[in-house]
Parts: sequence; structure tokens; C-alpha cells
Amino acid sequence: MRGRLGGIALAALLTWLVGYPLLLTLLEAVGVPADPTLAHFAEFVSRPDEWAALWRSFWISAASVALAGAVGVPLAFVFARTHFPGRAVLGALVALPVALPPLVGVIAFLFLYGESGFVTRGVQALLGLDDAPWRLQGAGAILLVHAYSMYVYFYLFVRAGLARLDPSVEEAAAALGAGRWRILTRVTLPLLRPALAGAALLTFMTSLASFSAPYIFGGGFRVMTTQIVASKLNGEVAMAQVETVTLAALALAGLAGLLRLDRGRMEVVGGVRGLAPRRRVLRRPVARWGAAALGWGVALVLLLPHLTLLLISLVPRSTWTVELLPPQLDLSNYRELLTTPERLRPVLNSL
Amino acid sequence: MPALLELREVEKSFGGTPVLRRLSLAAEEGEVLVLLGASGSGKTTLLRVIAGFESPDAGRLILGGEEITALPPARRRFGMVFQHYALFPHLSVAENVAFGLERHGLDREERARRVAEALALVDLDGFEERRVQEISGGQQQRVAVARALAPEPTVLLLDEPLSNLDPELRDRTRRELREAIERVGITALWVTHEQQEAFDVGDRVAILEAGRLAQVGSPETLYQEPASRFVAGFVGRASFLPAVAADGGTAILGDERFVGGGARWPAAAVGPLNPGDEVDLMVRPEGVRLVALETPGSLSGSVLSRRYAGEATFYRVRLDEAGEVVVAAGPEDARPGDRVAVAPRVGGLLPRAFPRSAGAA
Repeated sequence: MRGRLGGIALAALLTWLVGYPLLLTLLEAVGVPADPTLAHFAEFVSRPDEWAALWRSFWISAASVALAGAVGVPLAFVFARTHFPGRAVLGALVALPVALPPLVGVIAFLFLYGESGFVTRGVQALLGLDDAPWRLQGAGAILLVHAYSMYVYFYLFVRAGLARLDPSVEEAAAALGAGRWRILTRVTLPLLRPALAGAALLTFMTSLASFSAPYIFGGGFRVMTTQIVASKLNGEVAMAQVETVTLAALALAGLAGLLRLDRGRMEVVGGVRGLAPRRRVLRRPVARWGAAALGWGVALVLLLPHLTLLLISLVPRSTWTVELLPPQLDLSNYRELLTTPERLRPVLNSL
Repeated sequence: MPALLELREVEKSFGGTPVLRRLSLAAEEGEVLVLLGASGSGKTTLLRVIAGFESPDAGRLILGGEEITALPPARRRFGMVFQHYALFPHLSVAENVAFGLERHGLDREERARRVAEALALVDLDGFEERRVQEISGGQQQRVAVARALAPEPTVLLLDEPLSNLDPELRDRTRRELREAIERVGITALWVTHEQQEAFDVGDRVAILEAGRLAQVGSPETLYQEPASRFVAGFVGRASFLPAVAADGGTAILGDERFVGGGARWPAAAVGPLNPGDEVDLMVRPEGVRLVALETPGSLSGSVLSRRYAGEATFYRVRLDEAGEVVVAAGPEDARPGDRVAVAPRVGGLLPRAFPRSAGAA
């Protein structure tokens, strides 16, 4: 009885938090109650740029899932399965991007890989080029930022999944004659399916809702989130609502699709009582140092945005113009932040 | 019988702690060799070294005359059965059993036939399409055995295969696994920490003590002729009584005479002994009996406790001279507090005399 009441309370809370705003948006989109009409939907359907934005939202999210997985899954394996100097510290550090607010990450990327970013100018100087070797713009830039900020979902989910995996299941496969590749594809990855599906779902949803990266790097490349803001700025409020409803529908479709993938049949047989996950001690120096180099290298690239922000926050105003590295570092920005009321207020508001 | 699998002076340590110390052991073709030891004795590590999941720090593994020390697990062609079954939860019973057949280049029909055969071996005919979560723990372990046997391995390795089962399932599953192994006639290494299980399934039992081989032999040999005090105490009940070697004193096993508290008991010597050497006389409960006080050759004492165990009743007797001894007798032969005398049972298991210094021999 108590469980049932709890269920009702939870359903009510969810309806209020999720269902109610969605319903309101839907009602506004069809002009209920003032002026019921499907005209805005009809207009949405007739506009090619809306379809294009919807399609871009979808494929950017799908590609973000693929890229974030391509970074996060191997990283999780390296940190969960091998032993190398610095593994414990780095293993915790590479989860940091999840702590970086999206806009902050985007700004950090701008400073690193933007036209006058560290890395861009470094490569330019190294190769003696007249112009920046690349421009951080369009779909590529959005995907780069997404992959960077969302691989953490895959990394954390898969690491947790690997920690729970009974190592004797993989050993059983090895004893049955399976090589590494077959163990990975036939046993390990299928057993990690709940973790992979969960990470994919989170990445897909976060990517659909992502605004700062497409807003700052998108340029003419509009996705649904930026399209909604543009419609609103143009005064097309009803169209913005239609776009919101469409985006929500896309999100629900994604959710349904991924839930189907994760359906049932994953209960672990026999349990994993008393078995610590076995970490491969890399014996051969080449493998050992290879894993260490990979771990450190990847971690460095992944932590670069944080380090950049830290560095920039220490550069006094108008002291850094054309030099590759800032000529002067001190705490003046922090001092100003703490002593100027109009700069401190947004920080307090955020808190 | 020729040795099929041989371990020569295998050593392994983890983080500086030695787990296996110069361990040599050979399994003969077609036998079930049980590795018996307390937890921490190295028995599971030894099995993992044999399976190839751990590589030894020193020593060699020989299979049928060929060295396999450096061979990865996938190329050893050993079947392995794990404590927690380690079935693939995302595959059906048939797919689990077929996993090891995939590289054999069999066509679909032949594979299905081999799967059915393997399942029939463990009395699970018709279970092919079942999900592994749907069947009981005992059935899961039998699927694991079928899976291990299907690729026709040279050796079957079982790591405490019954320890995850409920006690009522354990006896039945033990019998079923033993029968399946017998039907195939495969050489098997079976790890356990339970003496009863070891004696039940093993043609021979190897007893491990702190990474060393304490003794290997048939259950009868281990029980009747333990090579050390450790083995004597680990396998069945044993009482140790302080005594002194009497005449004869050489290392020949036989009816040497020993004195203890003035009574002379026949005993077999373990190792070389001289008259006057201090010894510990190992006595099994059924090797002694309760007799009337003042019986010649007996030792007097008082009954400390009585434990009824169905087939026998065990009396713990504190001897007046020194030491305690457990005696198997009839259910009503004595009560706690009674004064009794203890004498060797004529024709019973001969007491064994261990040199006092040879505690860990």
C-alpha cells in the first residue's frame, strides 16, 4: 500500500515536472485555448530549413554518441584493465570534464583550438603557415566539443560496468579457445550493453539539448536548439513552441530506441561474490610504457581545456596580445572579481 | 599409468608473498586428482597456473611430454569449471556449450550434435533453448561442465565447483559431476577445501600446505599413512600423544614398540627413530578403544565429553599421564566424568610415531 502511494506521488511529481511543461508548450504550439490552429505545424512541415535543423540535431547527436564512445570506451578499458604509473590519479582526473559547465568548456575550446588559440597558433608557428591551419566552426567544431564533454558518460559507465564484470566469465571464454578479439566482441561488450546503452542515451539526450556549442561554433549551421532561439528572437513565438515540441518528440524517440536496445536478459548469473576485478599487470616494458603513454597522453589532451582556463584566469587584463604564451601571470583577475560588486554578483547568483 | 600433466618446481608469488613454493606434482592419465588445502594454501593459484591464467615465476608445466609453460590459456585445450559457474548470461544453454566449438570448423548440424551430446553427459538433454538464468544452480554448474567438455579438452580443471551450491544440492551435483567425468574418462584436477568432497571424488588427493605439497596419494594412504602431523590432522580426526621410542628404532614401518606412560603400544615409525627419541604418537579414534581400568597395556583417564555422530560416538578422554585422545566407541559405553582406560584396538589402524621435531615435515 505504501509502495503504491509512493508510486502515485512519484508519477504526480514527474507529471508536474516533465509532463506539465511539455503539455503547456504543446498547447501554445496549437494555439489552445485562444486560437486553436495547426497552422504553425503546417508551416514547420513546409519549411526546408526546419527539416534541415531537425535532421542536423539528429545526426549531430548520433555522431556525438559515436565519437564520445570512441574516446570513452577505450579509455575506460585502459584505466580499468591495466596498471601503469599514475593510473589512479589520472583515472580520477579524466572524469573531470563532467564537472565543467557546457559554456565553460566551449570557451576553453575557443582559447585552445580557436583561430587564435594556443594549439592553433602553436601548429601555425610550427609549420610556418600564414593563416590558422583550421577554423573552429561548423559541424566539426560542435562534434569536437561534444565528444570532449560527453566521452565522460561512456568512460564512467563502462568503467563501472567493467568493475562489476565477473572476470571468470572472460577467463572461461579464454579457456574455451577464444582470443582477445573474440572475448571482447562476443563476451565483454555484450555484457557491457546496459552500460553502453545508458551512456549512449545520456550522450544522445545531452547532445540534442546542447546549446552553447552550436550557438558559438555553429555559424550558419543551425540545429534545433539554436533554431528555437532564432525563432524566438524573430518574434515567432508559436513557431518556437512547435520546434520545441518537435525536439521533445525526437528525444522521446531516441529514448524509446535505446530502451529497446537495453531490454531485459542481462541479469548476471551466479553473481560475482568475493571476486575482485583482475587488473592485467603489463609485463612487457613496451606494453607497460605504451599504456602509460596512452593514458598520460589522452589525459593531457582531455585536461588541456581546464588547464587553459586556469592559465587564462591568471593573465592580467590587456597584457597578452600577440605572444604565443602570456608574458605575465598574477592573481589580479581574482582580486577584481572579489572586490568589484557587479562582477561578484553573478557568481553569487549562480551559487 | 603415465603422467599426462606434470608440474616441475613451480613457484609463484604475489607482491613478494610466496604462494607456491617449488611445487612438483603429476597427474596421471584418466585420474581425478584433487587439490585439497585450507584457504590460502595456494590450491586455486596452482589451478590458475595450470589453466594459464597466471604464469609461474619459476618452474615448468609439461603436458604429454611437451612444455606448455608459456602457452596462453586459449591454446592449452583445457576445460575449466569455475566456482561461480561463469556462464555467459547473454547466451542460451546451447550457445554456451557451443562457444568452445566455434573454432573447430564444424557445420551447424555437427555442432548441434556435439552440444546435445555434451548436455546428455550431464543429464541435461533438451535444455538447449533454456536461458541460463532460468535453471537452478546445480544445473548451471552442469551446463558449465558440459561447456568445458564439449571441445574435448585433454584435461578438465574444476575450481571448487560445488562451493556455490546449497548443501542439499551439493551431494547430488558432486555425484553427477563425478559420473560425467567417469563417462568421458578425462583426466581431471579438482580443487576443494573440503576433505569429505576430496575423498569422495578423488582417485588421488594432493594436500597443499602454505604453497607446498604436503602429501599426495589415495584417500586410504593419506588417512592411514599420513606423512606429516599436518596431513594427519588435516585428513580426519587425529589425537597426538607424547611418547618415547622403545626398541627397534629404525625407519622401517612395522610393529615397532613404543612406551608411553608405562604402556607399550605397537606403532609404525615415520622416519628414522632411535630408542629413547621423543615422539608424538598419532592415534585415530577407531584405532583405540575403551577398556576396563587396570587392563594391561592401557592408559587410564577421565572422559571429558561425549559426541554422538550416528555411525559412532566419540569420547574425548584426558589421560592421567599426558595428552588427550578421542576414542570411537558404542553410544552407551561411558559418560562425561567417568574413569576409563584406553588401549589400542587389536587389528585396528596402527598408531604412527612422528619424531618430535618433525612437526612440519
